[in-house]
Amino acid sequence: MATGIPSFKVILHGEYGVGKSSIFRRFMNDTFTQATGKQSTIGLDQCTRTIDLGSQNVKLTLWDTGGMERMSFIGSSYYRGAHAALLCYSVNNKDTFSILSQYILDIVMNAEGAKIFLCGNMTDQLGPEGSEGNAVTDTDLDQFMSQCQDVLSGVYRVSCKDSSGLEEMFRDMARVLHQDTMSRMTMRRDMIRPGDTPEREQTTEKKRCC
Amino acid sequence: MDETYDVIVMGTGLKECILSGMLSVSGKKVLHLDKNTYYGGESASLTPLDQVYQHFGKPEVGDKFGRGRDWNVDLIPKFLMANGQLVKLLIHTGVTRYLEFKSVDGSYVYKGGKIYKVPADEREALASSLMGIFEKRRFKNFLQYVQDYDENDPKTFKGVDPSMSAKALYEKFGLDANTQDFTGHALALYRNDQYMALTSLDLIKRCRLYSDSLSRYGKSPYLYPLYGLGELPQGFARLSAIYGGTYMLDKPVDKIVMEDGHVVGVSDGKDTAKCSVIVCDPTYAQDRCKKVGQVVRAICILNHPIENTKDAQSVQIIIPQNQVGRKDDIYVCMVSATHNVCAKNYYLAIVATTVETDNPEAELKPGLDLLKGVEEKFVSIVDLYEPLDDGQDSKIFISKSYDATTHFETTCDDVLDLFKRITGEDFDFSKVKHTDVEAVGE
Repeated sequence: MATGIPSFKVILHGEYGVGKSSIFRRFMNDTFTQATGKQSTIGLDQCTRTIDLGSQNVKLTLWDTGGMERMSFIGSSYYRGAHAALLCYSVNNKDTFSILSQYILDIVMNAEGAKIFLCGNMTDQLGPEGSEGNAVTDTDLDQFMSQCQDVLSGVYRVSCKDSSGLEEMFRDMARVLHQDTMSRMTMRRDMIRPGDTPEREQTTEKKRCC
Repeated sequence: MDETYDVIVMGTGLKECILSGMLSVSGKKVLHLDKNTYYGGESASLTPLDQVYQHFGKPEVGDKFGRGRDWNVDLIPKFLMANGQLVKLLIHTGVTRYLEFKSVDGSYVYKGGKIYKVPADEREALASSLMGIFEKRRFKNFLQYVQDYDENDPKTFKGVDPSMSAKALYEKFGLDANTQDFTGHALALYRNDQYMALTSLDLIKRCRLYSDSLSRYGKSPYLYPLYGLGELPQGFARLSAIYGGTYMLDKPVDKIVMEDGHVVGVSDGKDTAKCSVIVCDPTYAQDRCKKVGQVVRAICILNHPIENTKDAQSVQIIIPQNQVGRKDDIYVCMVSATHNVCAKNYYLAIVATTVETDNPEAELKPGLDLLKGVEEKFVSIVDLYEPLDDGQDSKIFISKSYDATTHFETTCDDVLDLFKRITGEDFDFSKVKHTDVEAVGE
């Protein structure tokens, strides 16, 4: 356990079929499969990767849901000790986006203090400008972000198919998580305040990378 | 729902979840249903605290005892033996990766109205005030014998026939009634005195399980998962899901569909899911079970640790039946915020025993007295069920209700026996590769 490298548990979350397992597979061995349905998720469990942040190595352990969200609830145990949740939706399916506030509630309830990151997947399937249809628009996203300003620690758009945005996302998450622990550790040295210390946002600017 | 499966499992209690996991790993196509909205059935941990009040039909209290959300209250109290079968199952299946454990601080035994630390090795035996000076020597010799015993090496039997009764073995070492009491009940963890007629080999093996478990992590032979026992069934459910198992909660089952005396599916009133085997807990097949007894349990909220335990933050106390004129032991399990099951400065103690009279709650008195004042108490009396048959004809395999024992050995016996009946094969423990659970913190 005590390897000296800071290590973080990150859980994947979001509606069935938005590509959580595809993100997992990109994280695990940078592969992609067209297969869909329950079968494609079998065997995916958790995977740890060391990410080099230049000054520091950081370990991310990504957990997949095992497809349990398909017909059921994931169960509180999945959330235990999570440092972060990667909340996924499909950029061309508004329904998977509108339900996210419900998921945020679940995460806040079950994984106290976990950082929440937002990830829109399937950017390769977006049609040309103006043909949005059921797609999640920038306005939708802006509105959502202003609603949960203090909750989101990062917002990303990726495509698992053409692999764009993924490495940047994993690296940025590792950076934010690491920075957050560092700032909390500094605070612990500085302050003598018994009980809970309010979390002071350091330089974790919220940026959209897409 | 409208599909064909190899096995349909009903109820997400620990036994059903372990079986679901093992069967999925063995390549079976599993559908796992539960009528409740949460995982765990009887082996769930209720949270927040108000859910416990609801469960027992009491008005809610909100944050009266610290933050309600910090509570994860087990309905059935048990600890894991660090070297026991459940730990082996957890390791073999990789489910340990989903959970975190801490060891339990202390293991105590009741004698003449007081509690004593259970002496488990020679040094502790010599230091213990549980026995007189001469008895200590005899007990030390007994422990030494047990420690050196090797089932496969007759030389270590030292002239004792393994089929000799436990009682005769005690006599051979000249152990008095008191020492027999705590050896049989606090070390070997027998629930009553019927074991005296069993073989000495059984007694020796159980004592060894205790000492081997103790030597693993130190303070006591017991482990307990952070956030409560309800994490265990969820861990095995995840295992099952990862190997292709399908989960449906909040799914009432209308009926089990039979054809020619064996099961062919499960119906929810609209659809029928087909299967050739059913695994379930007794509540899903009441008509195929018989009542075999009752257990009474009192869940107590304390605002102080238990006296004379050196303020242990988690502890087990065994009250051997002879000490209080009973046939069955009384068990006290206490856990606290160190295991993330209650708010800071509170303690959660569960007193339990097998019911012998028609005033079950009064039977718990010796245990409750040790707690010295409780803030809140929830008493339940539950019926224990066993299946009427072994399920070979109907292909409906039903687990037994959870008994009063404070560890998971009988739970695992039932699971492994069910697994064998379902698949026709033993579960092979020798496949277990590594043998360390990651214990965290103290």
